[in-house]
Amino acid sequence: MKMWSSFKKELILAARGFYFYVELGFAVVIMLVILFAIPENFSSTNTEYFYFNLPEQGREISKNSLLENDTDGKIEEVEIETGGKVYPAGLIVSDEQEIYIFESEEAVRELADSERNLGVVVELDENNELFYRYYLQGYESTRLKNLLSVLLNESTVVLEERINNQEVRTLTTGFEPITERKNTIPPLVAFSGSLMGMFVMAAYIFLDKKEGVIEAYAVTPSSVWRYLLSKVFVLLLTTVVSGLIIVIPVMGFSINYGLLLLLLLTTGFFASTLGLLIASFYDNMTKAFGVIYLLFFILMVPGIAYFIPGWDPFWVKIIPTYPILQGFKEIILPKGDIVYPLLTSAGFLAGGLVIFALTNIRFKRTLSV
Amino acid sequence: MIKVKGLYHSYLKDGKYAVKDVNFEVGEGEIFGFLGPSGAGKSTTQGILTGLLQLQKGDVTVAGYDIKNISRKMFNKIGVSFEQSNVYNKMTAKENLSFYARLFDVETRDPLELIELVGLKGKENIKTGEFSKGMKHRLVFARSMINNPTMWFLDEPTTGLDPAIAAAIKDIIKDRNKMGVTVFLTTHNMYIADELCDRVGFIVEGEIKLIDSPKNLKLQYGEKLVEVEYTQNGSVKKDCFSTILQKDKDALNKIINEKEILTMHTKEATLEEIFIKVTGRELV
Ligand SMILES: Nc1ncnc2c1ncn2[C@@H]1O[C@H](COP(=O)(O)OP(=O)(O)O)[C@@H](O)[C@H]1O
Ligand SMILES: [Mg+2]
Repeated sequence: MKMWSSFKKELILAARGFYFYVELGFAVVIMLVILFAIPENFSSTNTEYFYFNLPEQGREISKNSLLENDTDGKIEEVEIETGGKVYPAGLIVSDEQEIYIFESEEAVRELADSERNLGVVVELDENNELFYRYYLQGYESTRLKNLLSVLLNESTVVLEERINNQEVRTLTTGFEPITERKNTIPPLVAFSGSLMGMFVMAAYIFLDKKEGVIEAYAVTPSSVWRYLLSKVFVLLLTTVVSGLIIVIPVMGFSINYGLLLLLLLTTGFFASTLGLLIASFYDNMTKAFGVIYLLFFILMVPGIAYFIPGWDPFWVKIIPTYPILQGFKEIILPKGDIVYPLLTSAGFLAGGLVIFALTNIRFKRTLSV
Repeated sequence: MIKVKGLYHSYLKDGKYAVKDVNFEVGEGEIFGFLGPSGAGKSTTQGILTGLLQLQKGDVTVAGYDIKNISRKMFNKIGVSFEQSNVYNKMTAKENLSFYARLFDVETRDPLELIELVGLKGKENIKTGEFSKGMKHRLVFARSMINNPTMWFLDEPTTGLDPAIAAAIKDIIKDRNKMGVTVFLTTHNMYIADELCDRVGFIVEGEIKLIDSPKNLKLQYGEKLVEVEYTQNGSVKKDCFSTILQKDKDALNKIINEKEILTMHTKEATLEEIFIKVTGRELV
């Protein structure tokens, strides 16, 4: 009864306020961007730059082997400009790759640097064996680097033999990759739902602190935790609604919505209690802004890592948004894991409860007259 | 109804006390006035008594409840009016009271009736964000009696109100008190205190200087104040002296002996003058 009445009041206040519509409006904008601005699939071709520092014959052989995959079987003569210089190149286009063959190592190095693509220089060493120099971007994982050196140091014959002798057993059958458009959902849902929840919650509390209404609440038989919880409920409602606004138009009804709701609720709970806790330390938004901004930035990092394949250091994985993203990803994958989102939900529920308990103590201690 | 013994409170726990060694009792059905200039520690005391501020040192019981381990049930019996007009600006007057009423376990009063009582009839459906400070203050006052409290805390209930409205508020307090409600009231308005309070406590810089009934205070000081007009360096000066306090007697003596007296007569002391005589502080 007291809980319901408090919740209803918070809902009325939210509906008469500004942030409620900001949050929902944000979700609508994100949904429209996903549907109309993000292509179903990004161009999936990757680009590589080659320079064959070989005798004429070797150069021809290499070119011809690359040409086998070319769509029209011909090398196209193009010119590429970077850093104010123009480099002539031969372009070989296949379904998966665009390969530019340059006439100098300098060109390869410049372009690998400016365009952030893989550059390869092939030459002969003193024993007349092929020698490869790779220009990487620096963020590639050790695994990829190892793979490259293994590929080059073992003779291809040995490698082929080994690969053929390996028995491959598939664990998940019918694994289908999702489209790039769908792939953008997890970070955007996490951002608009959970992260916004933290910010909006803090904003709500600062409004109440300005009006001094928490003190009025504290001298009734209803407890401060009820007041805090009713705010959390309002935030959960907006988190769920904004999450669904984004997910339903893109995913239709092909996913497990029970699981989605569970993860939205638990992560939203965690984020809003975090907002409460931050707000308990400051009098107004201006004073809290530094901390909120910093936290926002840290929590955004897994979202960045999400879009950079191969960049996945340990410290990113312990930022709470990382499991949120992975959890949402499992939910939208056609054959995604069910246990992972469940465990993640349990974790955020537990974390949220701890923060809520802390916050309750803090709010009781910081009442004023 | 209230027992306070050896109460200390330091906001920053730095040895600087907002109230120190405060002791007093308020009997059932009494109106007790806490009088003092702003910053004296009145709101701090009320804050501790209503459980808003953590009790740091001292023994406090309110309405039979020990404040050390406060029970939420206690708040069914008490009503609190704040110095700060803390209402939801985005809700109407009526919504503010209706929502508040639902937080209690006991029977509550009709919000509309209370709104009318404090002279806000016709404003019930206006958002309080559009209210003046005084109007909000009256709404907070009305809210504090929504649960028919038997113990009523009023922090500056008439401050910032124009005299007619202040008088109406004063009458409401009197009426409730006649029905048996105990009142703890803080104010720096001496007229209100004089008319309402059974007993008053003078508090300055966190310390209670004196507790007595206005009647006793006046008996003690009444007709014992002398107003003197005299000339000093060619201009006319006017001063007021107690005939009880030794330092006043000495000062008066000095003037009689050394200056030219123009007029001199005794008068009844107001509570404000008594406050100034006792504490040496103005009531601002
Ligand atoms: N939240 C607070 N933090 C620190 N000091 C405070 C706080 N509130 C009040 N004080 C100080 O405590 C003293 C008593 O204040 P208060 O009880 O509000 O006085 P009154 O109600 O009599 O005007 C003042 O010196 C005031 O500055
Ligand atoms: Mg005060």
